[in-house]
Amino acid sequence: MELIPRATFEQIRQERVEEIAAERQKGAKVVGYFCIYAPVEMVRAAGAIPVRLMRGGHAAEEAGERYLRADACSFCSACMGNFGIDPAYKQVDAVLAVNTCDMMRRLPESIGKHFGIPVFQLYMPRTSEPLPHRVAEFRRQLGLLAGDLGKLTGVSVPDERLESEIAAFNGLRAMLRQTSDTRRANAPLLAGSTMLDLAATAWLLGPVKAVSLIEEVLRMIAARPRPETKRVRLMLGGSMLTEDDRWLLDLVEEQADIVTDILCTGTRWFAEDVPTEGAPLDRLARFYFGRDCMCRRPNRALYECATKLAREFRAEALVYKTLLYCDPYAFEVKRLQQALGLPVLHLDTDYSTENREQMRTRVEAFLETL
Amino acid sequence: MSNVEYSDPRPARVGFDEWMELFDRVPDELIERYHYYGNGEAWSKYLFPPQTFAIYGMRHLRRLKFDNSLAALRMWGFVQNETERLFRARQTGRRVIATMGDLGAVPVIVNSFPHCVAFYPDCIWWTPFAMESRVLFDAAAELGVGDATCFSRAALGAFSKHSYFPNPDLVIASTGASCDDYSGVEQLVESLAPDMLWVEEPMRCDARPARPLEQLLVKEYERVVERMEKLTGHSITEDELREGVRRANRVRKLVARLRELSFRDAALAALEMMVVEFGSLHYYSDMDEWTAALEHLLATAEGRAARSERVLPEDALRVVWVTPPADPLFLTYVEDAGARVVGTEYVINQALEMMDESKPPLAAIAESFMAASLIGTSKARAQSVIQQARRYEAEGVIISGILGGSHCAMEGRLIADYVKAELDLPVLEFDVTSPSREVSRQIGTRIDAFLEVLRSRR
Repeated sequence: MELIPRATFEQIRQERVEEIAAERQKGAKVVGYFCIYAPVEMVRAAGAIPVRLMRGGHAAEEAGERYLRADACSFCSACMGNFGIDPAYKQVDAVLAVNTCDMMRRLPESIGKHFGIPVFQLYMPRTSEPLPHRVAEFRRQLGLLAGDLGKLTGVSVPDERLESEIAAFNGLRAMLRQTSDTRRANAPLLAGSTMLDLAATAWLLGPVKAVSLIEEVLRMIAARPRPETKRVRLMLGGSMLTEDDRWLLDLVEEQADIVTDILCTGTRWFAEDVPTEGAPLDRLARFYFGRDCMCRRPNRALYECATKLAREFRAEALVYKTLLYCDPYAFEVKRLQQALGLPVLHLDTDYSTENREQMRTRVEAFLETL
Repeated sequence: MSNVEYSDPRPARVGFDEWMELFDRVPDELIERYHYYGNGEAWSKYLFPPQTFAIYGMRHLRRLKFDNSLAALRMWGFVQNETERLFRARQTGRRVIATMGDLGAVPVIVNSFPHCVAFYPDCIWWTPFAMESRVLFDAAAELGVGDATCFSRAALGAFSKHSYFPNPDLVIASTGASCDDYSGVEQLVESLAPDMLWVEEPMRCDARPARPLEQLLVKEYERVVERMEKLTGHSITEDELREGVRRANRVRKLVARLRELSFRDAALAALEMMVVEFGSLHYYSDMDEWTAALEHLLATAEGRAARSERVLPEDALRVVWVTPPADPLFLTYVEDAGARVVGTEYVINQALEMMDESKPPLAAIAESFMAASLIGTSKARAQSVIQQARRYEAEGVIISGILGGSHCAMEGRLIADYVKAELDLPVLEFDVTSPSREVSRQIGTRIDAFLEVLRSRR
């Protein structure tokens, strides 16, 4: 039985969106962001509410094709569609976009043009070696972002406020890590899908409210007896998995345990903390620059992360889900399989629902082989 | 150079067989005159008839139409000869450096070093079309890069095949605000390359000053210099780099004039001009000879303009072309259908910008790179299209894309919207299909219908 039913997460999220709408009525500003390189600490320190825009969905994808070609990645298309559909997206006063992959770099231009939403484009060097001039440029970019956020909210980003947000988010990351780590055990009680729901809900709630939810989950895990049956332990990877991809996780977890992941909507968000030494913006620059992603060049840090997690969590196989036309992730499948030395199931699909039974067959066949 | 021994026929676009006949008329002493790497020995000759290259596998040459001048014949011979030239470079002790992704900046530095040759594996993207073969795409697929992406994946196939260029001494891979397909290819090439240096390409924000990003680029270029010095054992001077910039500017100036003569006076056709523009990226691995070939071409074009001779009819429909077609047959098709290209936005404009010779060389290279359309917005790219359309009174815009190409998927509609909003010009957007012997009938019909619309608006 699930620790927390999906419906509960959905209710929490719905209530939070309503709460955000009410805060917005009182003058609060909402900043939408997409990926793990967005410094949420700065958004909150500027008095705005960060909302991660991470919905997919077939209807949204179709709606988005009005603005983008059919060979744009499904997530980008769904983003465009969701600005006209999703209640959380409709609350957004500005978008904070980071140039990760090429399509995400270009998406804000379409958002700005078609929805008139201001975009704060944060340039982060795509090359991953932390050379001083690259980190310094990123630090400069964060300074520019602070100015943009200040203009939006009328509030500057003071160091002391930034310090407290860094501490709060570090605390949230630590709690999520602790929760995820319960899956190191045999027959984990925490499902992979619940872990992703928890992370997604935590971002929306913000550190303070999220921590109490996570504490509750940890209490539930401690109180429940562990099942005796041993199932196959899997790692998840690939393009970002949104709330609308949970069907896939449910499908996998009918027969196996998802014990870890290398997703930007999962472990990679909470894997590390902002360092404690130095001025706040300098620390944020070092922290965010150092995050790994398949898009970075070279991307060996993500390979190291994947290898470490697979070993520590004793993963026996990898389920790797990419979105159609998501080159940065799709190109790496073969290489990743070689690096991990694990069986890999690669599913490359959009948000359409018609092929779910085919996916089911493939997942079941893959699990049978393990 | 003088053409006293040979006079060109009246300008025209000719087919493969006709070109062979023209080649027969070229005196032997002229054929003997042209050599690459400034070498007088027989192995460095390159003026061969197109049949030579068709026999070597470039089957598509049989279907294209070419300019009938000696200068064009020379240019084609030089360009088609590049694979052989790169292997000769290795044999003659030169360092062969693969420059990837930046499209025009890094070779200026590499070529400033003595006995070093830069080339772009990126440009292999034409090879599957020229050869009418999927061999390189299949090789890329074996390494994990399938069909739903840019044709530049051919470069990955070429690295794995080891027969399209020698194994480079160094790969300098630029990435950043660039297309994902090629960035992904670069990442996979890393495991096939003996040595690789990653160079950052910043993202340009048009609302903010570019100067800090130029400074970032200068730091990146200093790393290139440092790595080249380590590789060659040669400590480069500022004067050598300055001379490198000056030589590159010479090429860029020639190309600028050729663009003007072609777009305004139809002195050259689109196919030759595409080859000319891409030559500014890496000079087809021999800067001096490429410069000489361009000078020859320019003399021909100037002569035609002075005599009011045109290679395409005066009443041809005028179009601006956005994104280079991986299959050059599309250019021939459009011209056969009654249009001519009067402007291009081939995503390589950083290689066409003049560099400021009064500035420190690396700063000058960085400054010109910051004009690159690939690192900026689609709006900026559309503005370049709009400016050219205005300047040469274009009647329509053609955007040729690639299915699954990351920037094509995001930019095509935006560029079309901006152009329509500002100029009220019809825009045709289509995707280049896989290598084949002909333009697909469906796209051909769309091009025909588009040109019909342009004609009806006159």
